[in-house]
Amino acid sequence: MASYEFGIDIGGTFTDVVCRAPDGSIRLTKVPTTRGNPSKAMLAALETAGAEWQVPAGAISRFTHGTTVATNAVLERKGARIGLIATEGFKDVIEIGRQMRHQMYDLVLHTETPAFLAPGRFRREVRERVDAQGRVLVPLDEASARQAVTELLAQGVEAIAVCLIFAFLHPAHERRIAEIIAAIAPGLPVSLSSEVDPAFREYERVCATAFDAYVKPLVADYLENMETGLAASGVPATLQVMQSRGGLMSSAIARQRPVRLFLSGPAGGVVGGLDVGLNAGFRDLITVDIGGTSCDIALISDGMPLIRAEGLIDGFTVRVPMVDVTAIGAGGGSLAWIDAAGSLRVGPESAGSEPGPACYGRGGRRATVTDASVVLGYVDPQHFAGGMLRLQPELARQAVEDTVARPLRLALEDAALGIHRVLNAQMAEAIRLVSIGRGIDPRGYALLPLGGGGPMHGCALAEDLGISTIIVPPHPGVLAAAGLLGAPVEHEVAAAFPHACAGLDPALLRPALAGLDARCRSLTEAEGLAAEAVEISHAADLCYIGQSYWLDVPLRLEAADPIGEAYAAFLAAHRRVYGHAPELPAKFVNLRSVHRSRAGSVAGGIGVRQGEAAPPGTRPIRVRQSATPVIAAIWQREAIRPEDRIPGPAIIEQPDTTILVEPGWTAQLGPGGALLIRKEARA
Amino acid sequence: MNGFSTAGLDPITVEVTRHRLEGIANEMQSTLLRSSFSPIVKEGLDASAGLFTADGQTLAQSCSIPIHLATLIPAVARILQQFPPATMQPDDSYVLNDPYCGGTHLPDIAVIQPIFVQGRIIAFAAAMTHHQDMGGLSAGSVPTNATEIFQEGLRIPPLKFRDRGVVNATLEAMIRQNVRIPDTVMGDLHAQVSACAVGARRVAELAEKQGGNALTTIFHELLDRSERMTRLALAAIPDGTYRHVDWLDNDGVELKKPIRIEVAVTIAGDAVHIDFAGTSAQVRGPLNCVPSGSLAAACFAVRALTDPKIPTNGGCFRPITLHLPEGTLVNPREPAPVNARTSTIKRITGTIIGALAQVLPDRIPAPSAGQMVIVAFGGRKPDGTPFVTGDLIAGGSGAARGSDGVDVIETDATNCMNLPAEAAELETPIRLNRVALRPGSGGDGTWRGGLGTIREYEALVDDVSFTHRSERHFSAAPGLFGGAEGARAVSVIHRADGQQEVIPSKIVTRLNKGDRVVIETAGGGGYGDPGLRGPGAREADAADGKV
Repeated sequence: MASYEFGIDIGGTFTDVVCRAPDGSIRLTKVPTTRGNPSKAMLAALETAGAEWQVPAGAISRFTHGTTVATNAVLERKGARIGLIATEGFKDVIEIGRQMRHQMYDLVLHTETPAFLAPGRFRREVRERVDAQGRVLVPLDEASARQAVTELLAQGVEAIAVCLIFAFLHPAHERRIAEIIAAIAPGLPVSLSSEVDPAFREYERVCATAFDAYVKPLVADYLENMETGLAASGVPATLQVMQSRGGLMSSAIARQRPVRLFLSGPAGGVVGGLDVGLNAGFRDLITVDIGGTSCDIALISDGMPLIRAEGLIDGFTVRVPMVDVTAIGAGGGSLAWIDAAGSLRVGPESAGSEPGPACYGRGGRRATVTDASVVLGYVDPQHFAGGMLRLQPELARQAVEDTVARPLRLALEDAALGIHRVLNAQMAEAIRLVSIGRGIDPRGYALLPLGGGGPMHGCALAEDLGISTIIVPPHPGVLAAAGLLGAPVEHEVAAAFPHACAGLDPALLRPALAGLDARCRSLTEAEGLAAEAVEISHAADLCYIGQSYWLDVPLRLEAADPIGEAYAAFLAAHRRVYGHAPELPAKFVNLRSVHRSRAGSVAGGIGVRQGEAAPPGTRPIRVRQSATPVIAAIWQREAIRPEDRIPGPAIIEQPDTTILVEPGWTAQLGPGGALLIRKEARA
Repeated sequence: MNGFSTAGLDPITVEVTRHRLEGIANEMQSTLLRSSFSPIVKEGLDASAGLFTADGQTLAQSCSIPIHLATLIPAVARILQQFPPATMQPDDSYVLNDPYCGGTHLPDIAVIQPIFVQGRIIAFAAAMTHHQDMGGLSAGSVPTNATEIFQEGLRIPPLKFRDRGVVNATLEAMIRQNVRIPDTVMGDLHAQVSACAVGARRVAELAEKQGGNALTTIFHELLDRSERMTRLALAAIPDGTYRHVDWLDNDGVELKKPIRIEVAVTIAGDAVHIDFAGTSAQVRGPLNCVPSGSLAAACFAVRALTDPKIPTNGGCFRPITLHLPEGTLVNPREPAPVNARTSTIKRITGTIIGALAQVLPDRIPAPSAGQMVIVAFGGRKPDGTPFVTGDLIAGGSGAARGSDGVDVIETDATNCMNLPAEAAELETPIRLNRVALRPGSGGDGTWRGGLGTIREYEALVDDVSFTHRSERHFSAAPGLFGGAEGARAVSVIHRADGQQEVIPSKIVTRLNKGDRVVIETAGGGGYGDPGLRGPGAREADAADGKV
């Protein structure tokens, strides 16, 4: 029976569709994202692709999806009206937060906490209290709970978040409140902190819980519409959704924990990057996705994307595991400007898509990075974005001349090179900070530039960071959708396990992990995964006693001394990340079980379709290594043959990006259709 | 490396180098924060790192709280004075904490490392951390009842902590012996050393690429540029002398005596002069503040009043001059105690900015609570092991033209996180029973001041030493342009036997099992006539429990 697999990633501007045919070949298409009803838009995209490729709906065996619906609900403040129930004395924690401000030198301040999720009138307290050992100090006063629920319902709340002090050590009170809610309002969405984020620090936990409740009704509707739509179209596959930590889960389960979908889109990109990297033979990668306004940096270490325990959504801390993506405000649309002392600055202000760079001819007058790229000859004005947009080079020159060259008394092209150099320095420092902050030396890593803008800056960034290999994926622009097909199905369950390492009986670990495994197993079984297809791994968060930030280390129950091994792994990780690791007492904070089923790679089938062999053209470009123009070979990507070696200076053009090979670097096709650009050994 | 443009001082290379230096300072700071042990660094972010020129000017500084701005300058200067650069070696590290020898207050230890390129010092890496304990009268080393610096803890004059990478074991043993939590203190100190080592390595790499001489020239160009931009921004403020007075509650020793802070801020062309004549004479208690503190306050004010896009370095500080009369609160004579200087710096900052409110009414909000309550608890856990912990608590910010103040938020020279209730109780026998907004505490006005907070702590063991240092108990955050003042702070100890003790802003005492402390911080001042408050705003405040 023929079976097709689909991945659909809905982004802000484009919806990317990737399809794997029964013979393993891959097709992809890009359609504009329509506003309004995103589930309809997705079904329309599916229909278009299906018709174009002649895929019968009944033959679709797998359907994976990356969505921004949860993130958009927050950005647009369109989530549900929620009620929040807290321990007596603590209902204001969500509004007080950690009392820090982000703009340190602003005189007029703005609220830093997501109090909009549940303003004071929607917050209630219940009498109960659990202590730091998980013992009940004050039993749950059920009457106060019932009263709180009744009042909130009367105010019209559409979901309720419950976050009680130390509930991660003793979840019974939260569970009892969920029962009370279910009795009074059957079917009302409820989020419990002991399930959403079972870890200490009440502000971070209440935020994760409240965000979960806030997006739950919307995400549930969206996914339900999508499931119904797929079924109505005759698609037999269950819908799988990408989670923020880079694994898929069935939409029925995703609906229960929507806070895990905030980075659904970027996670697809990271997984896609991993797939390309592995196929090219690299397990340690830094992905840099350079778009119009921002640059997203992520790290992949030993074949696994780095996961962080908390991230930022619209500036608010959300403590759920997510791929460790760091965004900085630097991209192709970043504006160049001269400060009062006559220094050239680039960004963070961006020309956006309207008016866009000056060369778009939409009224932009100030120079952007893209304008500089036109001036330097990197971008062919006639074939930008596959010819979708005709650029006006004279406007780019005018803008660079007016905003940078004349004020700084520089030659036009030197000014354009300057814009690139300043931008590259910012991005390189950001990449360095991200990698060093995680104990990683970028020199041992390969750089994977993504997005329309990434491959133009790859050589400069790699050189700055001491990286010797750059991997340009076959289609840097649709990698997120490709990642959906390559991602594993994954379920992760964690629980607090506050025990000092010293004197800890290893026998305590077994039942705790067994409980987590059972919960994971029920989730993977609900996905219809066979037990033998599932890889199980365990991990623990450890920290020094007295330290409040923890490190994630693998835990092997089968080891002779699992606790000693975890402690040793903790010391090694601490040395790597922090540079020192005294043998001081440490403790366990959380235990975690991850059940994962690997999907097949897509990179192998996704190579660039080979076109006619055509000799490269040439044109003069400016590079930072030379004070005068150099003649660059101009290649079309589909014309490159495996035996071709392309030394810099060269430009490689393809519809979704432009690749700059600088002098001193050589490009060559690699396994899986990726282009490998390597630093030439010094003569 | 950079082809045709390395030779001269082209603006591109200068800007690229600036990003490098800021990147290095950020990397040092990241190393410092992540590798420290104590809650005050991990949760309070009370630490900073930076790079200095060979002659001691700030090149780049990464600080999570502005109070550290400029405070490393005298430390670097003092080390340079004590240890001639010719005697320094790569991987040497120098330390000090004595406020009368370049420090700020004893918990802040500065670590400084010379950066060598081809046998010559081209810069210094420096890191400052507020340590959880430095010995002395009380746990946490911020005794509000100290009357001499000798009571405040271990005084470290400028000393060499590492000699070519080898730690001075004598000094380490000395420090360990004098502090209550030696492992934590040494852990944090080594984090500082690591941060400086990172800075030294990366600047050396930069110099290798660009050449040491070229780099030094760029350093000076960067300082000059920030100076030019700061002067341009100052020139836009109308010339004149602007005066302002505000008060601190008391000095922790003479509890009935408020402390006057008076400033006259003179804007003359592109420079600013701040005269502290009229400020109280030095006080018996620890609210005195050595000159680096007033410089930090002035630097913060100038940063906030000029353009935030100006890269922060020593050039920004050149247009600032201060008159700090000797023997006063802002320039005390040894051995006056100084541990509580943070409160003083915060109030000085607010006073300088407040002085300019009349001339910049659109940009400057009503005064904030401007308090950061410091509480410290120390004692023994039920298993006998010692503990020290602390919390830092903010009040409300002042309302501004067009917006209400923000509830419970750090303002002016500090920017510290509070302690999660669960973190406190997991680590120490201190329980928080309540963390709430304080209704009605924001000053009324067309725009309402931000609310203070209420926090209730309970001791779970006997014999806990307790330090409480607050402000705004006896003077409120005033309103601006007809707005009402914010509520004053109130703190009360509720003894287990039912007795109540109102804390007169500052206290050092003991708590026993079941004793509770309820702290209510001040609200921010309101802005504009309360009669003009917008429709619906009062109803919303009532519904959300803000009034």
